[in-house]
Amino acid sequence: MSDSAEKYFVQVRQLAVSYSSQGGNPVCALDGLSIEIRAGEIIGVLGESGCGKSTLASALLRLLPPNARCEAGSILVRGRDLLSLSESELRAIRGREISLIPQDPALALNPLMTVGSQVGEVLRAHLPLRAEQRRARVNELLREVGFAHPDEIYSAYPHQLSGGQRQRIVIAQAVACRPALLIADEPTSKLDSILRAEIVALMSQMRRQHGTAILVVSHDPALFPGFADRIAVIYAGRIVEIGSSAEILGRPLHPYTQALVRLSISTVMSTEMTTVTAEPGGKARLPAIEGESLDPTCMPVGCRFAPRCSERMEICSRRFPPEFLSETSRSVNCFKYGE
Amino acid sequence: MSIYLHKHSPHDQSAVASLLRVQGLCKNYRRGGLWQRQMPIAAVCSVAFEIPRGQTLALVGESGSGKSTLARCVTRLERPDSGQILIEGTDIAQLHSRELAPFRSRIQMVFQDAATAMNPRFSALQVIEEPLRIHATGEQVGSDRPNRREIVRSLMIEVGISPDWMHRPIGHFSGGQRQRLALARALALRPQLLVLDEALSGLDLSTQAQIANLLLDLQTSHCLTYLFISHDLALAARLADSIGVMSEGELVELGPTQQILSNPNHTATRTLLASAKSAAANLAAITGASA
Repeated sequence: MSDSAEKYFVQVRQLAVSYSSQGGNPVCALDGLSIEIRAGEIIGVLGESGCGKSTLASALLRLLPPNARCEAGSILVRGRDLLSLSESELRAIRGREISLIPQDPALALNPLMTVGSQVGEVLRAHLPLRAEQRRARVNELLREVGFAHPDEIYSAYPHQLSGGQRQRIVIAQAVACRPALLIADEPTSKLDSILRAEIVALMSQMRRQHGTAILVVSHDPALFPGFADRIAVIYAGRIVEIGSSAEILGRPLHPYTQALVRLSISTVMSTEMTTVTAEPGGKARLPAIEGESLDPTCMPVGCRFAPRCSERMEICSRRFPPEFLSETSRSVNCFKYGE
Repeated sequence: MSIYLHKHSPHDQSAVASLLRVQGLCKNYRRGGLWQRQMPIAAVCSVAFEIPRGQTLALVGESGSGKSTLARCVTRLERPDSGQILIEGTDIAQLHSRELAPFRSRIQMVFQDAATAMNPRFSALQVIEEPLRIHATGEQVGSDRPNRREIVRSLMIEVGISPDWMHRPIGHFSGGQRQRLALARALALRPQLLVLDEALSGLDLSTQAQIANLLLDLQTSHCLTYLFISHDLALAARLADSIGVMSEGELVELGPTQQILSNPNHTATRTLLASAKSAAANLAAITGASA
């Protein structure tokens, strides 16, 4: 874990981020979180609303809102700590080395500019190209994200495109300068299942063709099969489990992960009629995880999932479970697996 | 415009009368500015279905298929261009707003991100009791403050929010909690029909499941009828007795849930189902779950 700056492209170490709230206690969004991203890998970050996953995504771009403070930790990108860079140094990195695929393309695109010129803007900010070269590159990008007639799309305005097409445009913007890392914060949560599959395929294609690493933030485990290489599970500001996609989804260890995967399976299997056995006169309920995550302004001392955990033990409320290494590169923060 | 209509089998067609029956519903929008010829776009074209009391019909379809426009017509947020909307036999499609007043308490709607329509500084109490303040007058239940407070208290308990938080501003609740409060508000006037327009979309998986279960419980305890609009076929399959598939403004397939899932006819249905099944298959493959 020490001199691995070459092996890992991005290293987040003990990152702590909190938000100040008006007249209230500060909200601790990330509490000493450490994660590494390897070059060219697709890593999923799985967790519910408020767990800190979006804060992590914003922190990696140094785009946290004004009321956020990085209390501690470092974010090393190829050895440089993002937290110590100036704004102009960061501007050179955003869009060029690290890029964002926003959750809602309708909000991210300028309604008064053609989509082609908006993709061109990204190139203009970072690459010394002449106008014709830029135009050619934009057309190439539009083709890459699946538009068969780039010239027509170039001069379209965002409102003339469908939701799925707009999502492709923001992806074109994100990959325009061939960044080493793409950050996708809930890229498919607003899309229907057909579009979701298309956008996932597009992101996989980006990784295949250009070796781009992708950090995908999502609340839904069903997004990750066949897509993410590794998955990190976050609960209340801390990682509770991390491993390969197959391990996390196939043999989840942490009770929270287990409950979430069970729920995801039950939900998506609703279309397989044979699994939905209704009680007489009723419909089958979903295996929801009872309770809600804790008030972030007052976190307890022990494991944060303990109040909702059906397997909690006495030790769980006394201290936060450290990392227990179950197998190589597979760790879980749960007292079920150690003392 | 043909529709694939799956017949209900004789034994599951109960004698329950329909609460909502829609016939030949059409809604066009006009496109084009001042100097262009006005081209009508058929947002909803000749849609017909019915929902028996106490049951759920899910309307599914891709974005832009007309589901939300249809929902807005049924709740009379829009006036349809033609067709009938029968609530226990009375056609409300062309009624004027004064004539519609008594129906407003019988039909309520819950939207996606309902909280964006609420003033974040209003308290939960103020938001939930507002329909009571508007509609209940004189001798009616809910016409005075202590009475309203009691009603709000029991509604909050029903939707799973502690009534101790009655005075907390809306902005201080989480997204899932706000959807629960939106449900409480929708239930304040004891409606018969709830139109849920993507009401579970944009929620976490776990929150979505909790609220889906809540909807099932409320349906049983209050004999509620639901029109559930969603782009998520899996969720619709879980909650609905029957499913209608919308495509480009038309209802192209309609029938009991089991039949739509096992025997889809129209391309739109097949595409949606294939996509849902493919997601299920991917997850099953990696988790080892069996169908």
